[in-house]
Amino acid sequence: MAKILIDERECDVAEGTTILKAAESAGLQIPHLCYHKAFMPEGSCRMCLVEIEGLPKLELACSTQVRDGMKVSTKSESVIEARKGVLECLLADHPIDCPICDKAGECKLQDYYEEYGLFESEFNEEKEKRQKKIEIGKNLLHDQERCVLCRRCVRFLDEVTKTRELGVFQRGVHAEVATYDGILVDNNYSGNLAELCPVGAITDKDFRFKTRTWFLQSRESICTLCSRGCNIYVESHQGFSRFSLPKRVYRIQTRENQMINGFWICDKGRYDYSYLDQERLDKIVVNNSEDPQSWQEITSIVAGEIGRLFHMKRSSHIGLILQSWLSNEELFLIDKIFRNDINIGKISFLDPPEESSDDFLLTAERTPNRRGAKEIGFDLQPADWEKFLEDVDLLFVFASPIKGDTDFSPLKAALDKIEKTVLFASHNHEINSLFDMVLPMSLIAEKGGSLTNIVGSVQGFSPALDAPGNCKPAWQFLVDLAKKLMINFDFYNQFSSPESIREVMKKEIPYFREEHE
Amino acid sequence: MIKALGYFIAIIKGSLITTRHFMVNMWFHTLKLFRIKTKRKGAVTIQYPEEKRKIASRHRSLHRLLKREDGKPRCVACMLCVTVCPSECIFVEAAEDPDPEVQKVPSIFIIDLSRCCFCGFCVEACPEDAIRMDTGQIEFAEYSRDKLIYDLEKLMG
Ligand code: SF4
Ligand code: SF4
Ligand code: SF4
Ligand code: SF4
Ligand code: FES
Repeated sequence: MAKILIDERECDVAEGTTILKAAESAGLQIPHLCYHKAFMPEGSCRMCLVEIEGLPKLELACSTQVRDGMKVSTKSESVIEARKGVLECLLADHPIDCPICDKAGECKLQDYYEEYGLFESEFNEEKEKRQKKIEIGKNLLHDQERCVLCRRCVRFLDEVTKTRELGVFQRGVHAEVATYDGILVDNNYSGNLAELCPVGAITDKDFRFKTRTWFLQSRESICTLCSRGCNIYVESHQGFSRFSLPKRVYRIQTRENQMINGFWICDKGRYDYSYLDQERLDKIVVNNSEDPQSWQEITSIVAGEIGRLFHMKRSSHIGLILQSWLSNEELFLIDKIFRNDINIGKISFLDPPEESSDDFLLTAERTPNRRGAKEIGFDLQPADWEKFLEDVDLLFVFASPIKGDTDFSPLKAALDKIEKTVLFASHNHEINSLFDMVLPMSLIAEKGGSLTNIVGSVQGFSPALDAPGNCKPAWQFLVDLAKKLMINFDFYNQFSSPESIREVMKKEIPYFREEHE
Repeated sequence: MIKALGYFIAIIKGSLITTRHFMVNMWFHTLKLFRIKTKRKGAVTIQYPEEKRKIASRHRSLHRLLKREDGKPRCVACMLCVTVCPSECIFVEAAEDPDPEVQKVPSIFIIDLSRCCFCGFCVEACPEDAIRMDTGQIEFAEYSRDKLIYDLEKLMG
């Protein structure tokens, strides 16, 4: 352990820690551009200079290790002066085209100039002209004028993806980041580069000119496009009071979680977010008509149907088809209501087929909660559909979101013959019209709950978006339904939120009691 | 009865005020006729709309979007005016320009003048000097609200 003093603040840190990390642990921010937690310090931008008592020159906080008894100052006059100097040199050749730069609003250069710069430029020389729009990746554009040569992008491709598509070429004032022989950055993690670049030198084609960053509201969520459960921010636009926007979600950003995804997410998770807005089902549809029906009426009808079969001792004629897009809490409720209380004979999963994994984050399973379903005790093997649907009188299907990749053909033929079919869906899909009742469900990003990822980590999440139209989270519907059924009223009456369900779930299922976070 | 009397008193008071203004103004105009200089001038009525008052150079009138030399809008769709507008009456959508030196141009630029409060913040915020309120036009009342929604074409004149 080393005891050091940073700006009069005492901190105890492990021997070998860098000053920058020690300062951060003490709650002090030291400006930096080239340093990133994920990589070894590079020491090229000189933004992090600090003064150390007894040393004649300023030192780099990002790469100087602490020594016991060290006295560091991050706010002394010479440090402030040095920062200004570094910024002035960086900006001397910077185009400052913030009005057309997608990074504006979250750009480190902008922030540091606001905080530590605020000088008038004393350079009269013409700025160096460079290429402003080079395609360097399938989703990436590069602006050489904006680049500060921090080499974060190069290091990411060397160390994380090991694909090494970018390098720094030339020297001195001519140094530039470029691809080798025009071979584009094309790996499943390329989108991280635009986020990693501290300035707007690498920008994302998908987000290009769509909106400005300061209009976006960033809320925590979990990616549901595979079973890794990467931590993300869903960034949505609240819209303008007088002008409507075509969509809510403008981009997905990574959220650090060292246990799951580190600092990164894959390109599938980053770019395939259009399902959050497109083709959403937001009305209750009964017999293919959208006549206004309230959830209350619907719940009564559904409860009536189930009750009728239950009291006629025909529960085994109720069928239930699930997809593992449901949260742990919802699967737990389904287990309680349909297996424990009503004891229906037929429950099966119809998940989209596995695809190839990429040996890093992206898994082969393309739904987020198969592990959770397994831990709650469901059998995930798809049923023999013909046999399964044979003498079903009442069929429930939870399919949210219905995406192109799930094969519903085994159901299609049988749906007509079943007396009553109810679909819980979040999207419009050709199969919807074959059901007697289609009920709009919220997506994971629009509700609270928890998911269990492929390695068994249980992660809670809360709503990142408002549910559109008449959509309802499945857990809410299930609780209402269970209360209407009046089989075990007191048990279900205690549930008012996903958290309250999780509490009970922890008591009943040992797996969720242990810490898997 | 007493109430009605009150009305009459008010009417008489009103006429006295009018008479006072008339006499005072008459007095200053008469003095002017005899070329006697006074600090206060007699009031003059401008015969609007035949006669118009000069608009000061700082006056904020109808917006316009400025053009580049080649006729394209100077605006780069940075949305700073959208951000600053207190009435939330500007809407901008950006599009790609083939010229890498320009890159960003507005494809939609709308000002809902029925909501604009003529604060001039948009002009102040613009980093490109692309929007100004110096047209001197103050007469653009319309019979329907949608005609007050000005688009790119209208704003570029
Ligand atoms: S492109 Fe961005 S991340 Fe790469 S060196 Fe330049 S500034 Fe750094
Ligand atoms: S690896 Fe899976 S969970 Fe992570 S971002 Fe990609 S699709 Fe989403
Ligand atoms: S003058 Fe004020 S209210 Fe009108 S458009 Fe500009 S910023 Fe908005
Ligand atoms: S502030 Fe100026 S450049 Fe930016 S969008 Fe408005 S008019 Fe265009
Ligand atoms: S952060 Fe230390 S030199 Fe760049």
